[in-house]
Amino acid sequence: MLVSWNWLQEYVPLSMRVEELEERLMMAGLNHESTQRVGQDLAIDLEVTSNRPDCLGHVGIAREIAVLWDLPLAVPAAQPAEGRTSVADLVRVQIDCPDLCPRYTARVLRGVRVGPSPDWLVQRLAAVGIPAINNVVDVSNYVMMECGQPLHTFDYAKLRGPEIIVRRPAPGETITAIDHKTYRLEPGMCVIADAEVPVAIGGVMGGAETEVSRSTRDVLVEAAEFDPVSIRTTARGLGLHSTSSYRFERRVDPAGVDWASRRCCELILETAGGELACGALDVGRPPEARQPIVLRLAQLPRILGIQIEPERVRKILLALGNVETPASLACEETLTVIPPSWRPDLTREIDLVEEVARIHGYDRIPEDVSVPMAPSSRLREDRVMEKIRQVLVAAGFDEAITLSVVDEAAARAMRPWTDAEPLQSLTPVIRGADRLRTSLVPSLLAARRTNEALANPEIELFEIAKVYLPATRERGPGLPDEQWMLGLTSGRDYAAVRGVVEAVVAALNRSATLEAEESQIELLDPQASCRLRIAGQPLAYVGRVRPEAIKQFDLRGPTCVAEVRIAPLVAKADLVPAYDPLSPYPAVSRDVNLVVAEAVRWARVAVTVRQSAGPELEDLAYRDTYRDPQRLGPDKKSLLFTLTLRSKEGTLTNAQADEVRNRIVAACRQEFAAELRAG
Amino acid sequence: MILKDFLAELDALAREATAALQAAGDPAAIEAARIQFLGMKSGRLRGVQKGLAGIPPADRPSAGKRFNEVKHAIEAALEAAQARLAGAAGPHAGPTRFDPTVPGHRPRTGHVHPISQTIEDLKDIMGRLGFTVAYGPEVEDEWHNFEALNIPLEHPARDPLDNFYLATAAAGAGHTKAMLLRSQTSTVQIRVMERVRPPVRIISLGRVYRPDDADATHYPMFHQIEGLLVDRRVTMADLKSVLRLFARSFFQDDVHIRFRPSFFPFTEPSVEVDMSWHGRWIEMGGAGMVDPNVFRAVGYDPEEVSGFAFGLGIERICARRHNVTDIREFFKNDVRFLHQF
Repeated sequence: MLVSWNWLQEYVPLSMRVEELEERLMMAGLNHESTQRVGQDLAIDLEVTSNRPDCLGHVGIAREIAVLWDLPLAVPAAQPAEGRTSVADLVRVQIDCPDLCPRYTARVLRGVRVGPSPDWLVQRLAAVGIPAINNVVDVSNYVMMECGQPLHTFDYAKLRGPEIIVRRPAPGETITAIDHKTYRLEPGMCVIADAEVPVAIGGVMGGAETEVSRSTRDVLVEAAEFDPVSIRTTARGLGLHSTSSYRFERRVDPAGVDWASRRCCELILETAGGELACGALDVGRPPEARQPIVLRLAQLPRILGIQIEPERVRKILLALGNVETPASLACEETLTVIPPSWRPDLTREIDLVEEVARIHGYDRIPEDVSVPMAPSSRLREDRVMEKIRQVLVAAGFDEAITLSVVDEAAARAMRPWTDAEPLQSLTPVIRGADRLRTSLVPSLLAARRTNEALANPEIELFEIAKVYLPATRERGPGLPDEQWMLGLTSGRDYAAVRGVVEAVVAALNRSATLEAEESQIELLDPQASCRLRIAGQPLAYVGRVRPEAIKQFDLRGPTCVAEVRIAPLVAKADLVPAYDPLSPYPAVSRDVNLVVAEAVRWARVAVTVRQSAGPELEDLAYRDTYRDPQRLGPDKKSLLFTLTLRSKEGTLTNAQADEVRNRIVAACRQEFAAELRAG
Repeated sequence: MILKDFLAELDALAREATAALQAAGDPAAIEAARIQFLGMKSGRLRGVQKGLAGIPPADRPSAGKRFNEVKHAIEAALEAAQARLAGAAGPHAGPTRFDPTVPGHRPRTGHVHPISQTIEDLKDIMGRLGFTVAYGPEVEDEWHNFEALNIPLEHPARDPLDNFYLATAAAGAGHTKAMLLRSQTSTVQIRVMERVRPPVRIISLGRVYRPDDADATHYPMFHQIEGLLVDRRVTMADLKSVLRLFARSFFQDDVHIRFRPSFFPFTEPSVEVDMSWHGRWIEMGGAGMVDPNVFRAVGYDPEEVSGFAFGLGIERICARRHNVTDIREFFKNDVRFLHQF
């Protein structure tokens, strides 16, 4: 809201410096944006919050100044001289849609001389950035900027009837507005029509046909109230945001409608002459009486934390235009006031608390009271996620943060956790991205591409974020199933990335075991990918991205990806591990090279090894797999693994270690017909 | 053998051995000297050691002590000679092939995203002030995102163009509730208050979504942190004091807090929070006392409890802290960028 320094002086004497004015207004709720010199005047730009429509006019700002500096406020009485002809004999007004336009007032001036505005009016408007058009239009703009009530003036002679009908548009109706563009009117809108066609889009913009011009002799002045939501949808729907719609969206002062109409007529008479018809047509709901609000004085310290003298409280509220009820004086603990018509935001006790605080000054609230201590603990999931970050950072991965929403192609590329169609936003969040992701991997691959394009040599990325799995038939309609995920993309090979996932799990629970199976994820190489489960629950997948998919994602080099569900890790995490007593004796290791049939999987061998080893087996480490049809035979492979053996009773001798190994080999022979490979 | 002769022999041996080792110019010469003086079987030191048995018992301790000294001196000379040839001798050893300015082999370590680092710091500080973290869904219904937060249907904040509403599938029979990507983390306050009775002292944080065009200071997705404290007798002075404690901890400076009146539907009074920073005021975020309507929506009695809430944009804090001038950098994930933090 641009206000003029000179203009304000018409209502309140400005005894302070402009900097002081800006500062104090800012501290009372009107943020100062900038101040610019316009001729002999200063244009001060103030930010007005949406709850304060009263500050969208100079009088409202002047009132704030008067309250803050304890200065007198002078508002013009607006008493235009009226002629003999009754306005009711000149025009008829009818509201067909009281939901969209609860009140409409009209006055008529006849015999005006439309021409250029006087200098004072041109200067006032120039200071607030409104170009001068002619004296009638300029006056209506002036009054709007004075009190915040938008007005519209029609060329009376061009109104068929003459009649004003406030109604919804008929199907297919259009209007050419004063910007000379034609707008198609939609059913929810409110139009001002004459006996035949729309002549204005109510509260948004007037029509070109009935616009006041040089040839206009008689003028109809409209001052009305429109429904804020309807104004907003109309302005938005037509892409027509005007100073008028801006004000109606925030509600105008219902008691100020008639004042604005009188003021407008008064100034038209002053600048353009003519004669004002007697009376006004005031159709629709009259302004409602405001309900009294009771302020219990004890609420001020209870909410604000400071004591304010009752007299000060009363003074602030009355200066703002509240009227104390007679009953109020009888009670010392409360103040009862009727809020002013221009303050739709004041309806409750807490609203008055805020008013008092705002004017009294928030700087009087101390910033060093002692707040009682309270215990707080870290969430289990936060501790798990922190640990995951530690492991990944140590493993050389950088953390990425990518957008939660992806485009359709990315959403379809990878759906490892659900078959359901991803949720879609009505408008894209960013260029084409309107699908809520069900996997982090496509976004990470896009980040990989960004880095490849920059020739960054090592691209090792992880992200911890949510995926949004649509509500399923079983879960019933409702919010999606949001799951925390860890996603990875790496330039390392499958085994390395899988090892990182295993390390994450091990860091959270040193005894957790994972079960692995084929992944069957389209994007991944079936020969180098797997799904992992923990305690029977799906946990993760890891795999090398297939060459076709690399191309699909526009990547240059190979990559392995992984995605891990965090919830099972949170459930399984052993965040305060118990001590396991250590044996004081040295370990002995044995490498074992076991030839088994191709079909025998490592996991089975590992189970047999563990079961047969006895208490001395401290660690079993897989090393490698060899295949050599000539030496091992067809459909055979050799599994190389290392046993770490240690006893709690004493140092293991070579013979004892060999015995454990032999026991293991024997068990494997029995179980899988495995043979120890000769040296 | 008397002590004096033994010592003289030892000294001579020490002199000869160090001279030989210092003169040795290649590994073979060093090895020859080692065998000559320190050899296990027939080294000269070994020979002298045999003489120790012939020393009168009273002199034996001092003889033994001296013997050990000489032995260590020769061993040290051997090590020095070996080190010299290996090119790792000290500065006095003359020109070598060792270059101390060659850097080491650095392991690759990853970096936590600066936004996550900032979040961790914020959680840490608020945790010390007694606030426990709470999370909530990012896809919300209108009750939690608007209604319970005192944002009625006619409020402009609910305009479809100012939010990311989801296209709800016609699959679900009956009425399908509108869903949207949450526009603020205040939704979590509602969910927590619906679940627990006062007192409540939480921070909620995470991703929020608003249809802003991406530019240097805006991105349609960003992170927010919100604090909520509800109890008997909570005042605006508590709010100001907690924010000051927070700012002093985070910025490690004696900052002051300033409130400017503002408007948010879910708090009243509502304020913009500034803090003093290097002699000027900078914006921190929004705050206020929880609106009585919000308390009623979650079944709290506003006559019984009061509370405050505040919200800060994490990208803004993080950007200011690290002098990042374009917040889009946070979401580009350029490894070079990530490695700066």
